[in-house]
Amino acid sequence: MSKKLLTILSAALLLTLLLGACGPQATEAPTQPPAPTAPAATEEPATTEEPIESGFTIGISNPFISSEYRTQMIAELIEVNQEYMAADITTELVIESADTDVAGQIQQLQNLMAQDVDAILVNPGDVSGLNATLQEALDQGIIVISVDQELDVPGVYNVGIDQKAWAMESAEWLAEKLGGEGDIVLIEGFPGHPANVARMEGVSEVLANYPGINVLATDTGRWDEATGQQVMSNFLAAYPNLDGYWTQDGMAIGALQAVMAANPAEWPQGVGEGRCQFLNLWEEALTMNPDFDSIAVANHPGVSPTGLRIAVNMLQGKEVDESTLGGANGLSFVLPLAAVITSENLDEGLAMCEGQPDAYLLDNIMTEEEVQQFFVQ
Amino acid sequence: MKNRITWDFLMTRYPVFFPLVLLVLSVAINLYLQPNMFQLSTLNSNMRVFLPLILLTVGQAIVLIAGGIDISVGGIVSVVNTILATRVGLEGSSELMWQYVLISLLVGALAGAINGFFIAYLRLQPIITTYATSFLYAGFALFILPNPGGGIPSAIASVYRTSTPLSLPLAFYVIAILLLVWAYVSSTRYGKYLFAVGGKAEAAYETAVPVTLVQFSAYVISGFMAALAGIAITMLSGSGNADIGNPMTLNSITAVVIGGNAFSGGIGGVAGPILGAITLSVIQNIISFSHINTWWETLVKATIIVAALAAPGVINLFRRRRA
Repeated sequence: MSKKLLTILSAALLLTLLLGACGPQATEAPTQPPAPTAPAATEEPATTEEPIESGFTIGISNPFISSEYRTQMIAELIEVNQEYMAADITTELVIESADTDVAGQIQQLQNLMAQDVDAILVNPGDVSGLNATLQEALDQGIIVISVDQELDVPGVYNVGIDQKAWAMESAEWLAEKLGGEGDIVLIEGFPGHPANVARMEGVSEVLANYPGINVLATDTGRWDEATGQQVMSNFLAAYPNLDGYWTQDGMAIGALQAVMAANPAEWPQGVGEGRCQFLNLWEEALTMNPDFDSIAVANHPGVSPTGLRIAVNMLQGKEVDESTLGGANGLSFVLPLAAVITSENLDEGLAMCEGQPDAYLLDNIMTEEEVQQFFVQ
Repeated sequence: MKNRITWDFLMTRYPVFFPLVLLVLSVAINLYLQPNMFQLSTLNSNMRVFLPLILLTVGQAIVLIAGGIDISVGGIVSVVNTILATRVGLEGSSELMWQYVLISLLVGALAGAINGFFIAYLRLQPIITTYATSFLYAGFALFILPNPGGGIPSAIASVYRTSTPLSLPLAFYVIAILLLVWAYVSSTRYGKYLFAVGGKAEAAYETAVPVTLVQFSAYVISGFMAALAGIAITMLSGSGNADIGNPMTLNSITAVVIGGNAFSGGIGGVAGPILGAITLSVIQNIISFSHINTWWETLVKATIIVAALAAPGVINLFRRRRA
């Protein structure tokens, strides 16, 4: 028995060492620019005691991976943090990013708190399920910023675009393009997802001003390219005389592919999205139908690295100019849209995609100087 | 010689042995990476997140012992969560909360009874039936609460979040109660029936075990436990989301299997799966604290889980070779 015990213990020890060794090494792994000299964040807590100007640790909590948006977001966060690390202002980011549920994200946040981070950037997977946990973080003196998704927790700042305005931009374009008349269909994202709800509200508001536009049907493409394509194919079959369609995000690529595949005599007018793959597809569509037109409004992941800059400035003790803030609880940094591409500036959009992968979302990260507009000078 | 006998003896007579080894191992690694793990506040914040899955896992374990499987548990969690979040509300009284806690438990048992009726009385395949009803329940939750929101009073939520009687997390007491109840139940005739039905239903039938009723009851218990999990996760998050339970289903099954219960039924208990559920959650912590590169996280976690699942089989394989 004692021999067995010894085996188990030594196995435990071995695994422990292995995992321990794994940590710092793994951060140097692929794709991302490495940070060879930075010590692991866990090794220098206790810096929160006295007011300091540097050595801040920022934690990231992201509950959804395997989307281009999130991948670009994480990569950009790491990149922007390198800047601050080089200036010794921050240490290595503590990133909690995995597909998880509400309980899992609560655990992510708790683990960040347990690692004594000074600020948390959270992309919340639930509109209110994290509230109590975020309050605990605030109570510990941690600066909490919600990126991409607005939260209504006193003390939590939000950084993002106005999702409603984002959707209104392209809905307005579609309504004008159709001259305020015609039959259209809507393909929405996840029903019930806050961003989708805000967007569809925006679309309804715009369409309310155009009584001549008739919404024949609404279906969900679940923010998925393939589903969007399938839904659009069904719509094209059901409504051969469709005048237009409104959709959002990756589903726009699927929808346009469906139109190109069906190639009806009269192409419906459709909205697109600010992704290089779509702009390339747009160029291709023009070769099939020179009259084709679209609009691509970027929902850019750059809001998160901009949020990181805001967090760093707040950590350095700069005072937020609350008069520049907006949103539901007046604690939102509402960022301008990164790019609106129409047929007039399609070339510019394509130029932005030069050298970028297909999945790249047109983006804009505010510079350190640009971020100063939110702070009292 | 003696060692070999001890190992086999432990593995067969005490299915809890291996999950316990896994838990001790993973807790040791977690403790090494996070030295303040056993601080009361840290321990409590961990355990309050683990508890909903633990509760769900116990129900799943009983269904597996009885030779079935319940894929609808996550849907039941969501239904309970949306009922509480919409009916009690952020401004609700504690009387209202208790009232709907009781209703939730009934709803959970009822949902389980629907599963049980199809499987035990209509003799439908458990996996297909509960897969289908999982959509039924998830759809019902979405019907109750189309957009995330609502909630329960934060004062009630904080009872769950911050209670530490005698300096121990609330979850420890819940686990103790679960173990005591199970110790009693498994010693009763009903407990023996559960194992008999899961092990060999025909033989059980021939020895006058009420097979149909026992199968039916297992799903009712599972639905009831899912309702408890739904109450716990609602108190954890304080809010409603029709999708909240969905990702928990597979975790509950994984936890049961890590806990040493056989998929084929008739073997195992409840203690092992509880340890399995904790291990599964601790593994996520280990991944967090080891600062593995973000892009590798999912792969590493899955690898550890697969290794944990495969370990007893691999050990047995080597033992057979040597014998």
